[in-house]
Amino acid sequence: MRPSQVQIDFGTPPGTPPRTSSEFEEIPYPVTHPSYFKTVHSYKHEESLPLHHMNEDTSTRRRVARGPGSSGGFMSGDEHESEMHYDDDGKDVYSKPSPARSRVSSGRVHRPPPPPPTSISEFISQNLEHLPPVIYTLLSCWTRFHKIGHANTVVWDEAHFGKFGSHYLKREFYFDVHPPLGKMLVGLAGLLSGYNGNFEFKSGVVYDESVPYVAMRVMMATFGVALVPLGWYTAVELGMSSWSCHLVALMVLCDVAWLAISRFILLDSMLLFFTFTTVFLLTKFHNQQYQSFSFDWWMWLAFTGISIGCVTSVKWIGLFVTAVVGLYTIEDLWEKFGDLRMTNRDQIRHWAARVLCLIILPILVYMLSFKLHFMILNHSGPGDSTMSSLFQAHLEIAFGSRVTLKGMGWGGGLLHSHVQTYPVGSGQQQVTCYHYKDDNNHWTILPTWEAPEYNPNGELQFLQDGDVIRLQHVPTTRHLHSHTVAAPVTKLNNEVSGYGNSTVVDDIKQGPREHVTKIHSLTTRLRFKHQALGCYLYAANAVLPQWGFKQLEVSCTKEDNPDDMHTYWNVESHWNDRLPLGDAKFYKSPFLRDFWHLNVAMMTSNNALIPDPDKEDILASAPTDWPWMRLGLRMCGWGDNQTKYYLLGTPVIWWGGTVSLIVFVIVLGIYLFRHQRKYIDMTLQQWNHFLYVGKIAGYGWFLHYVPFFIMGRVTYVHHYLPTLYFSVLMFAHLLDHFIFSARWKDSTKRVAFGICAFLIVGNFWWFRGMAWGIDGPINDHWGLLWRKTWNIYNA
Amino acid sequence: MASPSRPRQRIKVTPASTAGNYDQDDDDHVHAIYQSPNSRSALERVLDTPQASAAMVGVLTAIAFALRFYKINQPDQVVFDEVHFGKFASFYITREYYFDVHPPFAKLLFGLTGWFVGFDGHFTFENIGDSYTDNHVPYVGMRALPAILGSLTISVVYAIMKETGYSTIIAAFSACIILFDNAHIAQSRLILLDATLVFFMSLTIYSYVRFRKLRYWEFTVEWWSWLIATGFFMACTWGAKVNGILTVAAIGIAVLVDLWDILDHKKGFTMEHFWKHFMARAVGLIVVPFIIYLSFFYVHFAVLTRSGTGDSFMSPAFQETLIGNELLMNSQELRYFDVVTMKHKDTKVYLHSHPDHYPLQYDDGRISSQGQQVTGYGHDDTNNHWQIIPTKALPEAGRGRIVRHDDVIQLLHISTQTLLLTHDVASPLMPTNQEFTTWPKDDHSRHNDTLFYLNIIDADSEDPWKSKSSYFRLVHGPTRVSMWTHSKQLPEWAFKQQEINGNKNPTEKSATWFVDQVISTESPEGLSGEQVPKEPKKISFFRKFAELQLLMLQHNAGLTSSHPYASGPINWPFLISGISFWTENDAQKQIYLIGNIVGWWTCVIALSIYVGIMGADLLARRRGIEPIPDAARGRLWNSAGFFLLIWAIHYLPFFLMSRQLFIHHYLPSHLASALLAGSVLSFILSDTVNYPISIVGRWTKLRKSEYADLGMKGPVVVGVFTFILFLMFVYMAPLTYGTPGLDGETVNAKRLLSSWTLHFAAKETAEVS
Repeated sequence: MRPSQVQIDFGTPPGTPPRTSSEFEEIPYPVTHPSYFKTVHSYKHEESLPLHHMNEDTSTRRRVARGPGSSGGFMSGDEHESEMHYDDDGKDVYSKPSPARSRVSSGRVHRPPPPPPTSISEFISQNLEHLPPVIYTLLSCWTRFHKIGHANTVVWDEAHFGKFGSHYLKREFYFDVHPPLGKMLVGLAGLLSGYNGNFEFKSGVVYDESVPYVAMRVMMATFGVALVPLGWYTAVELGMSSWSCHLVALMVLCDVAWLAISRFILLDSMLLFFTFTTVFLLTKFHNQQYQSFSFDWWMWLAFTGISIGCVTSVKWIGLFVTAVVGLYTIEDLWEKFGDLRMTNRDQIRHWAARVLCLIILPILVYMLSFKLHFMILNHSGPGDSTMSSLFQAHLEIAFGSRVTLKGMGWGGGLLHSHVQTYPVGSGQQQVTCYHYKDDNNHWTILPTWEAPEYNPNGELQFLQDGDVIRLQHVPTTRHLHSHTVAAPVTKLNNEVSGYGNSTVVDDIKQGPREHVTKIHSLTTRLRFKHQALGCYLYAANAVLPQWGFKQLEVSCTKEDNPDDMHTYWNVESHWNDRLPLGDAKFYKSPFLRDFWHLNVAMMTSNNALIPDPDKEDILASAPTDWPWMRLGLRMCGWGDNQTKYYLLGTPVIWWGGTVSLIVFVIVLGIYLFRHQRKYIDMTLQQWNHFLYVGKIAGYGWFLHYVPFFIMGRVTYVHHYLPTLYFSVLMFAHLLDHFIFSARWKDSTKRVAFGICAFLIVGNFWWFRGMAWGIDGPINDHWGLLWRKTWNIYNA
Repeated sequence: MASPSRPRQRIKVTPASTAGNYDQDDDDHVHAIYQSPNSRSALERVLDTPQASAAMVGVLTAIAFALRFYKINQPDQVVFDEVHFGKFASFYITREYYFDVHPPFAKLLFGLTGWFVGFDGHFTFENIGDSYTDNHVPYVGMRALPAILGSLTISVVYAIMKETGYSTIIAAFSACIILFDNAHIAQSRLILLDATLVFFMSLTIYSYVRFRKLRYWEFTVEWWSWLIATGFFMACTWGAKVNGILTVAAIGIAVLVDLWDILDHKKGFTMEHFWKHFMARAVGLIVVPFIIYLSFFYVHFAVLTRSGTGDSFMSPAFQETLIGNELLMNSQELRYFDVVTMKHKDTKVYLHSHPDHYPLQYDDGRISSQGQQVTGYGHDDTNNHWQIIPTKALPEAGRGRIVRHDDVIQLLHISTQTLLLTHDVASPLMPTNQEFTTWPKDDHSRHNDTLFYLNIIDADSEDPWKSKSSYFRLVHGPTRVSMWTHSKQLPEWAFKQQEINGNKNPTEKSATWFVDQVISTESPEGLSGEQVPKEPKKISFFRKFAELQLLMLQHNAGLTSSHPYASGPINWPFLISGISFWTENDAQKQIYLIGNIVGWWTCVIALSIYVGIMGADLLARRRGIEPIPDAARGRLWNSAGFFLLIWAIHYLPFFLMSRQLFIHHYLPSHLASALLAGSVLSFILSDTVNYPISIVGRWTKLRKSEYADLGMKGPVVVGVFTFILFLMFVYMAPLTYGTPGLDGETVNAKRLLSSWTLHFAAKETAEVS
């Protein structure tokens, strides 16, 4: 790009016809053209923008940043600033690169920072705008903490997450499908409140005196408290009118589902918190777009990245909000890419900044959480088998050793068998791969029938490459067996089963080095080849149906592929009384391998959480049930003497949000249609703002909702809670668009706001018991059944 | 990089036009543009003549016929899905009703062909490997139909490319990819639906291209004819196989884009004009196809008038329209005091009771009512007999004694003389459901608990209760549970019979029962066995159509069981695995459905090149650089983009489907990718295109014509490629034609990818040790 081409443009003098995109030759519209007056009007109005003393009469439709904070820089002679005056005038904005329209025209309106306060009263008046969020936050403290210890039993998934927290305190390794950050915070809460980690967290059990469950719940609920100010400031950053900011804060404050989920020892309050922060930081960053590479710009971008890392480290559902940020960034970079006046150096810096802050930083945060996880959990526990390295005792494997065998493929489990039989194929005893420690994973290595019988007192005979062995399942004394019956899932392979007394498995070992003679636990990778059939013992990530308890299928593959990790096994645990103890420190596995391995195992287990067609799960619900709140969820026992919690949203918020999404799509369609026919409904700036907020909310909702249809796993109503945030934003956005920022009288707006606020608060008050706990027989509480499908009352 | 004047240069392009006019002065490509047809190379000029084109398509079609008819009588056995589709054809001839997930058009064609070649319909295509010659089936005639359609597909592909403005040699290239494709050939030599599907799909594309080229001649007769032809062929595609709906979607999207363009104010059309266009397309592409689609079903129902294997899929009302249907023969209206047996629709057990009682306490510690057991029992037994007791006053005789929908009844167990009852006691196996038991007839203390509403499904009030054909739910009066059973067995104390309990959902779908037999009746007609065959009833065509559509959808989604040769969509374009259609052990013959690996991989490469070119073009233009001449870019975006759209629409939705998927589902997409491969090759070889190709109309701005010229390199490249393609085809041919037999070593040699599961492979002797 030559310097001469860089055009610094300070706008056209007022009074000249509006300039249209880059087409300098274009003839202006005739004065009679309907769009003429509108555009001139808007143009004049924008000219006065930097003066920031706007009143609503001259800019009826634009949002007024009344309450919000005034951080950010000043609209000065920035090169891109002038471009916001560009008006494409409804021309074909699709097929040509638009002349580097900066996105400053959407989001919050910037105001210059106020002069430093000279007196207390000035200070107060300058910061008066922060008063409402403070009040809302105090209110949310009250709703979140009110009667928080009322139910002294383990409620709902506290049974899981409380237990996982205990594992951190006891430093025992465990396995779960969720990443560790949230559970580590639970553990931290336990640590801070003095919990010793010895409570079992059985569902429905009354808490021990040693468990400071109230303190732990309060700490979890604090994340829930923070949602309210985050909602408020996000609305501010999105450039909504103060009316709408109040509505967003009210809705976040008053949703019963968000309230209920925040009050227990669960991951969801943290997930919601980080989802909210991600959106907030993204909008914050968006408002710094006009001053690229400034300190603020870098700071908010980096914070966004960290927040992405955190949300993903709490639950993988956080990837959805990451996708929102991703879409925003792609669009942003695409716009920048088309900006021919930007220097190549700046282009590269923009790209590098995104890669650094939005890809590398989150990955580091995610990995850091795992690093901490591994560092804290250095004792053996119930989840060991999902990890490849263990804390075992003996070195070389000999005949007569009792071993557990772990599949080497990513996410492989332990070779397992149980008394249940295959309902298909041979009907013999099932052999599977299982991710948890269990006595059913134990196998004994015995010589073949032909060989002399194993003598427990005879000479110790170490296992060698090429030995023919029998593998006997310890609890059932069945032997590992294979035959030419098609395996139940991978039909081209042979079935592997436990069968009476048969000699079967022979052994090929491929050690990390050549010429290995002895088989070492953990470090030797081996393959098992069937002596008669020549097939290899194989466990890919094929999940058995319900009759196999969703464990992994084990089969025997005819293909001899030395590169296929799924045919490799190693000896994970090893017991042999006649051997000396091994030295555990040889077995430290590299972090990256553990990290990757655990993630694959989580993925596999997550996908195995598929609904059981034979069993109707009363708690589960389908994604289609959520937007219209067809079902709630009983969070605990429903007896008359129990305190009952019901996970159900505030109807007006859920239904309003869903309706607003539909309305937005329709309205967008109508606007586009009219645009194609050249009706000008809004100035370009208004249109950009309408689209920007709509995109954040719309993409967010879509990306948080649709993937649940594709995922095979079982879904619950609380999966919709992060999604709900985006529908709340959309609801507020549309109210803003049609009422609060539109040309209505102030009194009309007041009335509309009053109605909305009354409905939200009234609904909340009506259903408050769902989150605060309902005592006594449920059927005594009248009027809660707004939809017949809710299973609130005992029939 | 951009020259200083470049950003301004771009402005001269009219973005709305499908392909911008070309500015001669300022482009490096100018030497390659031929604006006079005579400046092209001699070879191109010769090939471009209509005679050469006709000769080319003639030769290609002739080869196609030869390859598809070669040894079409081999094997003389039932192969793969001929089991289904051959059978369906024979049902059309015997006029027996059947049920299938696919619409009937292609199968009707097979039926017609079968009838035409004298097939009597008595061979039932039971198993793969059944001999045709032994059973005197004129199978060659039936196989000729897909072979003919498959051969004609080649000409259509050629014509599509030619109409889209590509050189003869490029058109031949696309046609050859299909012509020498083992998968297309294997699929069109057998009694399978795909050849019909692919043929009509290509015709749809062809008609749409013709229609689109007439866009400056809107509302002329020709324009209307091609519009309606598109609709017609679209209906045929959809009618051939259910995946044909994807063709409808693809055309639909293209039409929407088209309409959006018309809507653009810069085109200067009025809204009236737009609505006129909109209505024309609605008629041509919605109304007409729908009527044709309906007509297939009309013929289908008109032909299949007898009871057959498909009866049990349909509702009782439907079944009664079929001649000789069991329901029609045996169904009779039930009257009070009739003694009947009742069966559960899904698990086929009788409602049963016996004198034994529920144990006081179950294993899990819950307490029962200790009432008489009510169970589900699979076998005929006098303990299955129940009498219908009225709860209202009845007339002495006549039709007033017929039991009707919504009546409140009691059921009396004949052998123990007790009444069926349910109450709020947990059932033995499910704490959430109510226990069913019985109560002595004379003890009126619990009269209310013995009352049940008879809820006949899909019935209006006053509809009579009929044996066999009325599906009903029995809903308990006081507690609103419906009598339900599930396939779990009760323990030993109930002789492992099935549990019957009350489901809290009164409209539970699986709580459906029907009266199986009438044991005794006071009806004047007596028991059904003595009746004369009744006339089939009639219900309206639209009701039949709606019912069948719904069932087809449900069953299509329900095809989820695993199949050894099913494969995921991601494998298809790369030919990771095929399908073993048929084997014969003696001669070691087999048919293995697999594409021509050269052709398929070429298509994949072409697709990726196309995406690459488009991406690069997009990025470049974003930076104000225009690397591709406008005419060529217009061709790439519009016509090749259309092919890409067809490919994507026929491919990507399979990723969302959870049903069984096979590689032959990719054949329509493969055809689209062959078209795209032609476009990409043309672009790689030369910047030139034939332009404009749309027929110039009254308002069209006249632009300078351009002519494509591939010179010598076109024929050479295509010639060499076709030769390699042909060699690969010949190499794989034994697997496609199922003859001659192959020994193990040869099979191993033909197993080009290790993931192909060919039969009769020689054992690999070498072992790692």
